[in-house]
Amino acid sequence: MLRPYKILVVDDEPDLEPLMLQRMRRHIRKGRYTFVFAHNGVEALEVLNRDGGIDMVLSDINMPQMDGLTLLEQIPKVDPNIRSVIISAYGDMKNIRTAMNRGAFDFVTKPVDFKDLQITIERTLAHMQEWREALSYRDKLVSIQNELEVASRIQQSILPSEFPEDMRYQVYGNMEPARDVGGDFFDILDLDKGRMGLAIADVSDKGVPAALFMMSCRTLLKGVAIGLSEPGPVLAEVNQLLHEDNETFLFVTVLYAVYDPGSGEFTYASGGHDAPLLVRADGSAELLPLTDGIALGVVPDLDYRQHSVILQPGDTIVLYTDGVTEAQNMLGDAFEVEGLHRIFAGTLASITAREGTDSVFQTVRDFMGEAAQFDDITCLTLHRDK
Amino acid sequence: MDITSQRTDGALIVSAEGRVDGANARKFQKAVENVIGDGDSAVVLDMESLSYISSAGLRSILLIAKGLQKRNSKFAVCSLQGPIREVFRIVGFDKIVSIYDSQGDAVKALGG
Repeated sequence: MLRPYKILVVDDEPDLEPLMLQRMRRHIRKGRYTFVFAHNGVEALEVLNRDGGIDMVLSDINMPQMDGLTLLEQIPKVDPNIRSVIISAYGDMKNIRTAMNRGAFDFVTKPVDFKDLQITIERTLAHMQEWREALSYRDKLVSIQNELEVASRIQQSILPSEFPEDMRYQVYGNMEPARDVGGDFFDILDLDKGRMGLAIADVSDKGVPAALFMMSCRTLLKGVAIGLSEPGPVLAEVNQLLHEDNETFLFVTVLYAVYDPGSGEFTYASGGHDAPLLVRADGSAELLPLTDGIALGVVPDLDYRQHSVILQPGDTIVLYTDGVTEAQNMLGDAFEVEGLHRIFAGTLASITAREGTDSVFQTVRDFMGEAAQFDDITCLTLHRDK
Repeated sequence: MDITSQRTDGALIVSAEGRVDGANARKFQKAVENVIGDGDSAVVLDMESLSYISSAGLRSILLIAKGLQKRNSKFAVCSLQGPIREVFRIVGFDKIVSIYDSQGDAVKALGG
Protein backbone atom coordinates (compact mmCIF):
# COMPACT_ATOMS: atom_id res chain seq x y z
CA MET A 1 0.00 0.00 0.00
CA LEU A 2 1.25 3.43 -0.94
CA ARG A 3 1.58 6.13 1.68
CA PRO A 4 -1.50 8.40 2.01
CA TYR A 5 -1.52 11.65 0.07
CA LYS A 6 -0.69 14.53 2.37
CA ILE A 7 -2.92 17.58 1.90
CA LEU A 8 -2.25 20.92 3.55
CA VAL A 9 -5.45 22.87 4.25
CA VAL A 10 -4.99 26.62 4.83
CA ASP A 11 -7.95 28.62 6.21
CA ASP A 12 -8.34 31.15 9.03
CA GLU A 13 -11.82 29.86 9.91
CA PRO A 14 -11.43 27.37 12.79
CA ASP A 15 -14.57 25.45 11.71
CA LEU A 16 -13.04 24.01 8.60
CA GLU A 17 -10.59 21.65 10.34
CA PRO A 18 -13.15 19.50 12.25
CA LEU A 19 -15.54 19.63 9.31
CA MET A 20 -12.89 18.42 6.85
CA LEU A 21 -11.76 15.61 9.17
CA GLN A 22 -15.36 14.55 9.64
CA ARG A 23 -16.43 14.65 5.97
CA MET A 24 -13.27 12.98 4.71
CA ARG A 25 -13.07 10.43 7.52
CA ARG A 26 -13.65 7.41 5.25
CA HIS A 27 -10.76 8.39 2.98
CA ILE A 28 -8.59 9.10 6.02
CA ARG A 29 -9.43 5.74 7.57
CA LYS A 30 -8.68 3.93 4.29
CA GLY A 31 -5.25 5.56 4.30
CA ARG A 32 -5.94 7.57 1.16
CA TYR A 33 -5.45 11.07 2.62
CA THR A 34 -3.88 12.68 5.63
CA PHE A 35 -4.51 16.33 6.42
CA VAL A 36 -2.30 19.03 7.91
CA PHE A 37 -3.78 22.41 8.82
CA ALA A 38 -2.50 25.99 8.83
CA HIS A 39 -4.38 29.25 9.48
CA ASN A 40 -2.67 31.67 7.15
CA GLY A 41 -0.05 31.84 4.41
CA VAL A 42 2.88 32.34 6.77
CA GLU A 43 1.99 29.28 8.81
CA ALA A 44 1.41 27.32 5.60
CA LEU A 45 4.93 28.13 4.37
CA GLU A 46 6.37 27.09 7.74
CA VAL A 47 4.57 23.75 7.46
CA LEU A 48 5.71 23.28 3.85
CA ASN A 49 9.33 23.99 4.75
CA ARG A 50 9.31 21.91 7.93
CA ASP A 51 7.09 19.06 6.89
CA GLY A 52 8.29 17.49 3.62
CA GLY A 53 6.07 15.31 1.49
CA ILE A 54 3.06 17.61 1.10
CA ASP A 55 1.34 16.61 -2.15
CA MET A 56 -1.24 19.33 -2.50
CA VAL A 57 -2.39 22.56 -0.90
CA LEU A 58 -6.03 23.57 -0.47
CA SER A 59 -6.12 27.24 0.45
CA ASP A 60 -8.60 30.00 1.24
CA ILE A 61 -7.92 33.40 -0.34
CA ASN A 62 -8.67 35.98 2.36
CA MET A 63 -6.50 35.37 5.43
CA PRO A 64 -4.50 37.57 7.82
CA GLN A 65 -0.69 37.93 7.58
CA MET A 66 -0.40 36.30 4.16
CA ASP A 67 -3.33 35.73 1.84
CA GLY A 68 -3.88 32.76 -0.47
CA LEU A 69 -2.86 34.60 -3.64
CA THR A 70 0.53 35.50 -2.14
CA LEU A 71 0.94 31.97 -0.83
CA LEU A 72 0.35 30.64 -4.39
CA GLU A 73 3.39 32.55 -5.57
CA GLN A 74 5.53 31.17 -2.74
CA ILE A 75 4.65 27.46 -3.01
CA PRO A 76 6.67 26.70 -6.19
CA LYS A 77 9.76 28.10 -4.47
CA VAL A 78 9.42 25.38 -1.85
CA ASP A 79 8.51 22.60 -4.29
CA PRO A 80 7.41 23.23 -7.90
CA ASN A 81 5.66 19.84 -8.01
CA ILE A 82 3.05 20.69 -5.34
CA ARG A 83 -0.40 21.38 -6.83
CA SER A 84 -2.71 23.97 -5.28
CA VAL A 85 -6.49 24.30 -5.22
CA ILE A 86 -8.08 27.57 -4.13
CA ILE A 87 -11.25 27.98 -2.06
CA SER A 88 -12.96 31.23 -3.05
CA ALA A 89 -16.19 33.06 -2.40
CA TYR A 90 -18.93 32.09 -4.81
CA GLY A 91 -18.80 34.25 -7.96
CA ASP A 92 -15.52 35.96 -7.08
CA MET A 93 -14.19 35.63 -10.63
CA LYS A 94 -11.55 38.30 -10.20
CA ASN A 95 -9.70 36.41 -7.45
CA ILE A 96 -10.29 33.07 -9.14
CA ARG A 97 -8.69 34.36 -12.36
CA THR A 98 -5.75 35.79 -10.42
CA ALA A 99 -5.29 32.48 -8.61
CA MET A 100 -5.39 30.51 -11.87
CA ASN A 101 -2.89 32.90 -13.43
CA ARG A 102 -0.60 32.36 -10.47
CA GLY A 103 -0.59 28.64 -11.07
CA ALA A 104 -3.55 27.26 -9.09
CA PHE A 105 -4.56 23.90 -10.55
CA ASP A 106 -8.28 24.30 -9.80
CA PHE A 107 -10.73 26.04 -7.46
CA VAL A 108 -13.80 25.26 -5.36
CA THR A 109 -16.30 27.78 -4.01
CA LYS A 110 -17.81 28.44 -0.62
CA PRO A 111 -19.88 27.04 0.88
CA VAL A 112 -17.76 23.98 0.25
CA ASP A 113 -19.57 21.07 -1.39
CA PHE A 114 -17.51 18.19 0.01
CA LYS A 115 -18.53 15.77 -2.72
CA ASP A 116 -17.30 18.22 -5.36
CA LEU A 117 -14.20 18.91 -3.26
CA GLN A 118 -13.40 15.22 -3.11
CA ILE A 119 -13.67 14.92 -6.92
CA THR A 120 -11.42 17.98 -7.27
CA ILE A 121 -8.86 16.49 -4.88
CA GLU A 122 -8.82 13.19 -6.78
CA ARG A 123 -8.42 14.98 -10.11
CA THR A 124 -5.58 17.08 -8.73
CA LEU A 125 -3.80 14.08 -7.24
CA ALA A 126 -4.21 12.08 -10.48
CA HIS A 127 -2.68 14.95 -12.42
CA MET A 128 0.16 15.21 -9.93
CA GLN A 129 0.80 11.48 -10.14
CA GLU A 130 1.05 11.64 -13.94
CA TRP A 131 3.26 14.67 -13.69
CA ARG A 132 5.63 12.87 -11.32
CA GLU A 133 5.76 9.83 -13.62
CA ALA A 134 6.53 12.06 -16.57
CA LEU A 135 9.34 13.65 -14.56
CA SER A 136 10.76 10.27 -13.66
CA TYR A 137 10.61 9.11 -17.32
CA ARG A 138 12.40 12.29 -18.31
CA ASP A 139 15.11 11.59 -15.74
CA LYS A 140 15.47 8.03 -17.01
CA LEU A 141 15.68 9.28 -20.58
CA VAL A 142 18.39 11.74 -19.63
CA SER A 143 20.34 8.96 -17.95
CA ILE A 144 19.95 6.69 -21.01
CA GLN A 145 21.17 9.52 -23.20
CA ASN A 146 24.18 9.93 -20.93
CA GLU A 147 24.89 6.22 -21.26
CA LEU A 148 24.60 6.46 -25.04
CA GLU A 149 27.14 9.24 -25.00
CA VAL A 150 29.48 7.03 -23.00
CA ALA A 151 28.90 4.18 -25.49
CA SER A 152 29.62 6.54 -28.34
CA ARG A 153 32.87 7.69 -26.71
CA ILE A 154 33.94 4.09 -26.06
CA GLN A 155 33.19 3.26 -29.66
CA GLN A 156 35.16 6.19 -31.00
CA SER A 157 38.00 5.37 -28.64
CA ILE A 158 38.47 1.84 -29.99
CA LEU A 159 39.01 3.17 -33.50
CA PRO A 160 42.67 3.74 -34.31
CA SER A 161 43.65 7.34 -33.60
CA GLU A 162 47.35 6.90 -34.25
CA PHE A 163 48.50 5.66 -37.60
CA PRO A 164 51.70 3.79 -38.43
CA GLU A 165 54.56 5.94 -39.64
CA ASP A 166 56.59 4.30 -42.34
CA MET A 167 58.72 5.68 -45.17
CA ARG A 168 57.18 3.23 -47.62
CA TYR A 169 53.45 3.87 -47.14
CA GLN A 170 50.80 5.93 -45.36
CA VAL A 171 47.47 4.86 -43.99
CA TYR A 172 44.69 6.99 -42.52
CA GLY A 173 41.05 6.40 -41.60
CA ASN A 174 38.05 8.12 -40.06
CA MET A 175 34.45 7.31 -39.06
CA GLU A 176 31.50 9.63 -38.49
CA PRO A 177 28.46 7.95 -36.94
CA ALA A 178 24.99 9.00 -38.12
CA ARG A 179 23.51 8.50 -34.67
CA ASP A 180 24.90 8.42 -31.14
CA VAL A 181 26.27 4.94 -31.58
CA GLY A 182 27.11 3.63 -35.01
CA GLY A 183 27.66 0.27 -36.61
CA ASP A 184 30.75 1.02 -38.72
CA PHE A 185 34.34 0.48 -37.72
CA PHE A 186 37.80 0.24 -39.17
CA ASP A 187 41.00 -1.21 -37.77
CA ILE A 188 44.70 -1.33 -38.50
CA LEU A 189 46.67 -4.33 -37.20
CA ASP A 190 50.36 -5.08 -36.81
CA LEU A 191 51.00 -8.53 -38.28
CA ASP A 192 54.11 -10.70 -38.44
CA LYS A 193 56.86 -10.19 -41.05
CA GLY A 194 56.24 -6.44 -41.05
CA ARG A 195 52.86 -6.82 -42.69
CA MET A 196 49.77 -4.80 -41.83
CA GLY A 197 46.13 -5.85 -41.54
CA LEU A 198 43.42 -3.39 -42.66
CA ALA A 199 39.76 -3.88 -41.87
CA ILE A 200 36.64 -1.87 -42.62
CA ALA A 201 33.17 -3.04 -41.63
CA ASP A 202 29.50 -2.08 -41.50
CA VAL A 203 26.97 -3.73 -39.17
CA SER A 204 23.45 -4.07 -40.59
CA ASP A 205 21.78 -1.66 -38.19
CA LYS A 206 22.43 1.23 -35.86
CA GLY A 207 21.97 1.77 -32.16
CA VAL A 208 22.99 -0.20 -29.12
CA PRO A 209 22.49 -3.82 -30.37
CA ALA A 210 24.46 -3.03 -33.52
CA ALA A 211 27.20 -1.35 -31.47
CA LEU A 212 27.56 -4.43 -29.26
CA PHE A 213 27.66 -6.69 -32.33
CA MET A 214 30.25 -4.39 -33.87
CA MET A 215 32.43 -4.53 -30.74
CA SER A 216 32.34 -8.31 -30.71
CA CYS A 217 33.10 -8.48 -34.44
CA ARG A 218 36.07 -6.17 -34.07
CA THR A 219 37.49 -8.16 -31.14
CA LEU A 220 37.06 -11.49 -32.97
CA LEU A 221 38.62 -10.11 -36.13
CA LYS A 222 41.62 -8.79 -34.24
CA GLY A 223 42.14 -12.10 -32.43
CA VAL A 224 41.72 -14.26 -35.52
CA ALA A 225 43.83 -12.02 -37.78
CA ILE A 226 46.86 -12.30 -35.53
CA GLY A 227 46.74 -16.10 -35.69
CA LEU A 228 45.89 -16.59 -39.37
CA SER A 229 47.84 -14.78 -42.04
CA GLU A 230 45.49 -14.88 -45.07
CA PRO A 231 42.36 -12.65 -45.40
CA GLY A 232 40.08 -15.42 -46.76
CA PRO A 233 40.58 -17.84 -43.84
CA VAL A 234 40.35 -14.92 -41.38
CA LEU A 235 36.86 -14.01 -42.66
CA ALA A 236 35.80 -17.68 -42.68
CA GLU A 237 36.78 -18.06 -39.02
CA VAL A 238 35.19 -14.77 -37.90
CA ASN A 239 32.02 -15.68 -39.81
CA GLN A 240 31.86 -19.01 -38.01
CA LEU A 241 32.36 -17.43 -34.58
CA LEU A 242 29.82 -14.66 -35.21
CA HIS A 243 27.24 -17.10 -36.53
CA GLU A 244 27.50 -19.51 -33.61
CA ASP A 245 25.11 -17.78 -31.27
CA ASN A 246 23.69 -15.03 -33.40
CA GLU A 247 20.02 -14.91 -32.39
CA THR A 248 19.67 -11.35 -33.59
CA PHE A 249 20.29 -12.00 -37.30
CA LEU A 250 22.43 -8.93 -37.31
CA PHE A 251 25.18 -9.30 -39.86
CA VAL A 252 28.29 -7.38 -40.76
CA THR A 253 29.93 -6.67 -44.08
CA VAL A 254 33.71 -6.73 -43.74
CA LEU A 255 36.57 -6.05 -46.07
CA TYR A 256 39.77 -7.42 -44.63
CA ALA A 257 43.13 -6.94 -46.33
CA VAL A 258 46.76 -7.73 -45.65
CA TYR A 259 49.34 -5.32 -47.00
CA ASP A 260 53.01 -6.15 -47.42
CA PRO A 261 54.93 -2.87 -47.53
CA GLY A 262 58.02 -4.63 -48.89
CA SER A 263 56.47 -5.96 -52.07
CA GLY A 264 53.43 -3.66 -52.29
CA GLU A 265 51.19 -6.71 -52.41
CA PHE A 266 47.64 -5.97 -51.25
CA THR A 267 45.54 -9.10 -50.63
CA TYR A 268 41.89 -8.73 -49.63
CA ALA A 269 38.74 -10.71 -49.09
CA SER A 270 35.25 -9.23 -48.95
CA GLY A 271 32.45 -10.56 -46.80
CA GLY A 272 29.58 -8.76 -48.50
CA HIS A 273 31.44 -5.45 -48.45
CA ASP A 274 31.86 -2.87 -51.21
CA ALA A 275 34.83 -3.37 -53.52
CA PRO A 276 38.04 -1.41 -52.85
CA LEU A 277 38.80 1.48 -55.18
CA LEU A 278 42.31 1.41 -56.62
CA VAL A 279 43.60 4.76 -57.81
CA ARG A 280 46.78 4.57 -59.87
CA ALA A 281 49.56 7.16 -59.66
CA ASP A 282 48.34 8.72 -62.93
CA GLY A 283 44.87 9.34 -61.46
CA SER A 284 43.10 6.54 -63.32
CA ALA A 285 40.88 4.48 -61.06
CA GLU A 286 39.23 1.08 -61.01
CA LEU A 287 37.02 -0.87 -58.64
CA LEU A 288 38.80 -4.08 -57.69
CA PRO A 289 36.76 -7.27 -58.21
CA LEU A 290 34.37 -8.42 -55.51
CA THR A 291 35.42 -11.76 -54.09
CA ASP A 292 31.78 -12.95 -53.86
CA GLY A 293 31.79 -13.45 -50.10
CA ILE A 294 28.57 -13.31 -48.10
CA ALA A 295 28.17 -10.84 -45.21
CA LEU A 296 29.43 -12.35 -41.93
CA GLY A 297 27.18 -13.87 -39.29
CA VAL A 298 24.39 -15.17 -41.54
CA VAL A 299 25.39 -18.57 -42.96
CA PRO A 300 27.82 -21.02 -41.31
CA ASP A 301 30.64 -23.03 -42.91
CA LEU A 302 31.57 -20.62 -45.69
CA ASP A 303 34.85 -20.29 -47.53
CA TYR A 304 35.96 -16.82 -48.50
CA ARG A 305 37.97 -16.22 -51.67
CA GLN A 306 40.68 -13.60 -51.74
CA HIS A 307 42.32 -11.52 -54.44
CA SER A 308 45.70 -9.78 -54.72
CA VAL A 309 47.01 -6.71 -56.50
CA ILE A 310 50.44 -5.09 -56.42
CA LEU A 311 50.43 -1.44 -55.47
CA GLN A 312 52.96 0.53 -57.50
CA PRO A 313 54.64 3.56 -55.93
CA GLY A 314 52.13 6.41 -55.95
CA ASP A 315 49.09 4.08 -55.99
CA THR A 316 46.26 4.48 -53.50
CA ILE A 317 43.62 2.08 -52.18
CA VAL A 318 40.39 3.59 -50.86
CA LEU A 319 38.25 1.45 -48.55
CA TYR A 320 34.82 2.84 -47.65
CA THR A 321 31.40 1.92 -46.32
CA ASP A 322 28.13 2.49 -48.16
CA GLY A 323 27.60 5.55 -45.97
CA VAL A 324 29.96 7.23 -48.47
CA THR A 325 28.54 5.94 -51.75
CA GLU A 326 24.90 6.12 -50.63
CA ALA A 327 25.10 9.56 -49.01
CA GLN A 328 22.24 11.62 -50.43
CA ASN A 329 21.92 15.26 -51.32
CA MET A 330 18.76 17.36 -51.00
CA LEU A 331 17.54 16.10 -54.40
CA GLY A 332 17.80 12.48 -53.28
CA ASP A 333 20.78 11.72 -55.56
CA ALA A 334 23.40 9.34 -54.17
CA PHE A 335 27.12 10.14 -54.04
CA GLU A 336 27.96 6.83 -55.79
CA VAL A 337 31.39 5.30 -56.42
CA GLU A 338 31.81 7.82 -59.23
CA GLY A 339 31.89 10.55 -56.58
CA LEU A 340 34.86 8.78 -55.01
CA HIS A 341 36.56 8.41 -58.42
CA ARG A 342 36.25 12.12 -59.03
CA ILE A 343 37.89 13.05 -55.71
CA PHE A 344 41.03 11.18 -56.57
CA ALA A 345 41.18 11.65 -60.33
CA GLY A 346 44.09 13.80 -61.36
CA THR A 347 45.08 15.32 -58.03
CA LEU A 348 46.65 12.24 -56.61
CA ALA A 349 50.36 12.42 -57.14
CA SER A 350 50.87 14.89 -54.30
CA ILE A 351 48.07 13.75 -51.97
CA THR A 352 48.75 12.03 -48.64
CA ALA A 353 46.57 9.29 -47.17
CA ARG A 354 45.29 11.75 -44.58
CA GLU A 355 44.49 14.40 -47.18
CA GLY A 356 42.74 11.72 -49.24
CA THR A 357 40.53 10.59 -46.35
CA ASP A 358 39.82 14.15 -45.20
CA SER A 359 38.96 15.10 -48.72
CA VAL A 360 36.44 12.23 -48.96
CA PHE A 361 34.70 13.46 -45.78
CA GLN A 362 34.73 17.08 -46.91
CA THR A 363 33.41 16.27 -50.39
CA VAL A 364 30.65 14.01 -49.03
CA ARG A 365 29.61 16.71 -46.53
CA ASP A 366 29.54 19.36 -49.27
CA PHE A 367 27.53 17.01 -51.47
CA MET A 368 24.97 16.28 -48.72
CA GLY A 369 24.50 19.95 -47.87
CA GLU A 370 21.52 20.21 -45.53
CA ALA A 371 20.34 16.64 -46.22
CA ALA A 372 20.20 14.26 -43.25
CA GLN A 373 22.98 11.72 -42.71
CA PHE A 374 21.27 8.30 -42.82
CA ASP A 375 24.28 6.10 -42.32
CA ASP A 376 27.68 6.04 -40.66
CA ILE A 377 30.40 7.30 -42.95
CA THR A 378 33.76 5.52 -42.86
CA CYS A 379 36.79 5.76 -45.10
CA LEU A 380 40.26 4.22 -44.85
CA THR A 381 42.97 5.15 -47.31
CA LEU A 382 46.28 3.37 -48.00
CA HIS A 383 48.91 5.08 -50.13
CA ARG A 384 52.18 3.58 -51.32
CA ASP A 385 54.81 6.28 -51.31
CA LYS A 386 57.00 6.93 -54.31
CA MET B 1 7.65 2.83 -47.81
CA ASP B 2 4.35 1.21 -48.80
CA ILE B 3 3.22 -2.42 -48.74
CA THR B 4 0.45 -3.93 -50.84
CA SER B 5 -0.43 -7.59 -51.20
CA GLN B 6 -2.53 -9.95 -53.28
CA ARG B 7 -2.99 -13.72 -53.49
CA THR B 8 -2.52 -15.39 -56.88
CA ASP B 9 -2.07 -18.99 -57.90
CA GLY B 10 -1.51 -20.15 -54.33
CA ALA B 11 1.23 -17.61 -53.60
CA LEU B 12 1.04 -14.40 -51.61
CA ILE B 13 2.61 -11.53 -53.51
CA VAL B 14 3.80 -8.65 -51.32
CA SER B 15 4.85 -5.54 -53.20
CA ALA B 16 7.10 -2.98 -51.53
CA GLU B 17 7.42 0.59 -52.69
CA GLY B 18 9.83 3.41 -51.81
CA ARG B 19 12.83 3.24 -49.46
CA VAL B 20 13.62 0.73 -46.77
CA ASP B 21 16.40 2.00 -44.52
CA GLY B 22 17.45 1.98 -40.85
CA ALA B 23 14.64 4.38 -39.97
CA ASN B 24 11.77 2.17 -41.18
CA ALA B 25 13.25 -1.35 -41.51
CA ARG B 26 11.38 -2.67 -38.44
CA LYS B 27 8.13 -1.12 -39.62
CA PHE B 28 8.68 -2.71 -43.03
CA GLN B 29 9.29 -6.13 -41.49
CA LYS B 30 6.19 -5.93 -39.27
CA ALA B 31 4.06 -4.70 -42.19
CA VAL B 32 5.12 -7.64 -44.37
CA GLU B 33 4.71 -10.15 -41.55
CA ASN B 34 1.25 -8.77 -40.83
CA VAL B 35 -0.05 -9.47 -44.35
CA ILE B 36 1.29 -13.03 -44.32
CA GLY B 37 -1.54 -15.35 -43.24
CA ASP B 38 -1.20 -18.70 -41.50
CA GLY B 39 -2.29 -20.43 -44.68
CA ASP B 40 0.32 -18.83 -46.96
CA SER B 41 2.78 -21.54 -47.91
CA ALA B 42 4.59 -19.44 -50.55
CA VAL B 43 5.46 -15.76 -50.30
CA VAL B 44 6.99 -13.61 -53.03
CA LEU B 45 8.33 -10.16 -52.20
CA ASP B 46 8.07 -8.02 -55.33
CA MET B 47 10.68 -5.22 -55.30
CA GLU B 48 9.93 -3.64 -58.64
CA SER B 49 8.93 -0.31 -57.06
CA LEU B 50 11.54 -0.32 -54.33
CA SER B 51 13.98 2.55 -54.86
CA TYR B 52 16.47 1.86 -52.08
CA ILE B 53 17.27 -0.74 -49.47
CA SER B 54 19.90 -0.42 -46.76
CA SER B 55 21.60 -3.24 -44.90
CA ALA B 56 19.05 -2.83 -42.09
CA GLY B 57 16.40 -3.51 -44.76
CA LEU B 58 18.28 -6.62 -45.90
CA ARG B 59 18.28 -7.82 -42.31
CA SER B 60 14.49 -7.39 -42.22
CA ILE B 61 14.21 -9.57 -45.33
CA LEU B 62 16.44 -12.14 -43.65
CA LEU B 63 14.18 -12.14 -40.57
CA ILE B 64 11.07 -12.50 -42.75
CA ALA B 65 12.71 -15.40 -44.63
CA LYS B 66 13.77 -17.11 -41.38
CA GLY B 67 10.25 -16.78 -39.99
CA LEU B 68 8.79 -18.43 -43.10
CA GLN B 69 11.44 -21.14 -43.08
CA LYS B 70 10.50 -22.06 -39.50
CA ARG B 71 6.93 -22.85 -40.59
CA ASN B 72 8.07 -24.55 -43.82
CA SER B 73 6.76 -21.83 -46.11
CA LYS B 74 8.67 -20.88 -49.25
CA PHE B 75 10.08 -17.43 -49.88
CA ALA B 76 11.51 -15.60 -52.87
CA VAL B 77 12.10 -12.05 -54.03
CA CYS B 78 11.53 -10.81 -57.58
CA SER B 79 11.85 -7.90 -60.02
CA LEU B 80 14.88 -6.27 -58.41
CA GLN B 81 15.86 -3.03 -60.09
CA GLY B 82 19.51 -2.23 -60.87
CA PRO B 83 20.68 -0.60 -57.62
CA ILE B 84 18.74 -3.07 -55.44
CA ARG B 85 20.13 -6.03 -57.40
CA GLU B 86 23.61 -4.56 -56.91
CA VAL B 87 23.13 -4.33 -53.12
CA PHE B 88 21.99 -7.97 -53.03
CA ARG B 89 25.04 -8.96 -55.07
CA ILE B 90 27.58 -7.01 -52.99
CA VAL B 91 26.29 -8.26 -49.65
CA GLY B 92 26.10 -11.79 -51.05
CA PHE B 93 22.38 -12.15 -50.43
CA ASP B 94 21.87 -13.37 -53.98
CA LYS B 95 23.37 -16.62 -52.66
CA ILE B 96 21.06 -16.83 -49.63
CA VAL B 97 17.71 -15.64 -50.99
CA SER B 98 16.00 -16.98 -54.16
CA ILE B 99 15.77 -14.17 -56.70
CA TYR B 100 13.60 -14.20 -59.85
CA ASP B 101 13.25 -11.73 -62.70
CA SER B 102 9.46 -11.53 -62.58
CA GLN B 103 6.47 -12.33 -60.40
CA GLY B 104 5.46 -15.05 -62.85
CA ASP B 105 8.87 -16.76 -62.66
CA ALA B 106 8.85 -16.58 -58.87
CA VAL B 107 5.33 -17.99 -58.51
CA LYS B 108 6.12 -20.79 -60.98
CA ALA B 109 9.34 -21.68 -59.17
CA LEU B 110 7.66 -21.74 -55.78
CA GLY B 111 5.20 -24.26 -57.21
CA GLY B 112 2.16 -22.06 -56.69
